[in-house]
Amino acid sequence: MIAPGIKRGTAELAVLSVLEDGPLHGYEMARRIEEETHGALRFTLASLYPLLYKLEKRGWVRGAWETSGTGRRRRCYRLTAEGKKKLAPIRKEWAELFRALKRLAKVSHA
Amino acid sequence: MRDWEAHVRQQLGDLALEDGERRAVVAELGAHLEDTFEELRRQGLPEEVAVERALSQVRDWQSLRRKIQSARMKEGVMTDRVKQVWLPGFLTLFLSMMLLMLIQFIGPKPWVVSPHGWRVMAPMAVIYVPWLLCLVPIGAMGAYFSTRAGASRRRAFVSIFFPVLPYFVFFIVGFPVCVILDDHVAHNVVLSALWVGLAAWVVLPAMALLAGAFPVQILKSRRVASA
Repeated sequence: MIAPGIKRGTAELAVLSVLEDGPLHGYEMARRIEEETHGALRFTLASLYPLLYKLEKRGWVRGAWETSGTGRRRRCYRLTAEGKKKLAPIRKEWAELFRALKRLAKVSHA
Repeated sequence: MRDWEAHVRQQLGDLALEDGERRAVVAELGAHLEDTFEELRRQGLPEEVAVERALSQVRDWQSLRRKIQSARMKEGVMTDRVKQVWLPGFLTLFLSMMLLMLIQFIGPKPWVVSPHGWRVMAPMAVIYVPWLLCLVPIGAMGAYFSTRAGASRRRAFVSIFFPVLPYFVFFIVGFPVCVILDDHVAHNVVLSALWVGLAAWVVLPAMALLAGAFPVQILKSRRVASA
């Protein structure tokens, strides 16, 4: 089980990554993240939307109301060009962190 | 059929957003609850349990309300750019200009020989060198305020070099315009005057500002690395 503090740090990366594949509304996004991380990362309504709104204010994602085939209106989010540009350095930072942790783990096991 | 939007509206209470925006937030959160509930029902959970599970996503509605407000509210006057670039930039510009003025008014005024006899006048170096030296701590101050506000290296450098930007603009734009419009400027000294002006009022002051800012930047990056 991943602690909430660590999850919080990964939230931006998770949302931006999942939107890279195409537009999704909030509920779909939460489901997709949960499925793809095999339940390790779970977003609830309370944790997802403040983050989405923050990312929208920064201009990294853009939300727009769309009507689905069943006639339901849902707000779908897309990754903007700026969001795509931001995703690369965030990924790099996390990759560096994982490498550092891997090195550290080896040291602590020695 | 349950009215999820009404539930969200009631729980969020006085969400301090504009009407249209508030309605959009309520509709979006209501739709999320509805989707969650329907998914749980599809999984075979009884209605009451599904409702309870859907609502358990939010433990503290007041906290959610605050988070949404802070995330959706327009940025105030003090944006990051203001704190990281404009405030430190104008502070360094103001200080550098004020110091130049003070040195001219109350600085040393040695008696020097002039072709027209003895008179009180300050040679250029008497004003210029102290001013240049004063730019070192001013640069450090600009760097400190800018990096303290979380500026990137690029933004920090913009605020540090801010005091020389007016001179730079003058020599690049104003000076050629003056040369074209004013007949009194000797055209044979224009290029050399431009280089001397650029060196004296842009390059050297920029180096002095950088000399002050550089240690602050190093100190800051060391602190970040050791944190």
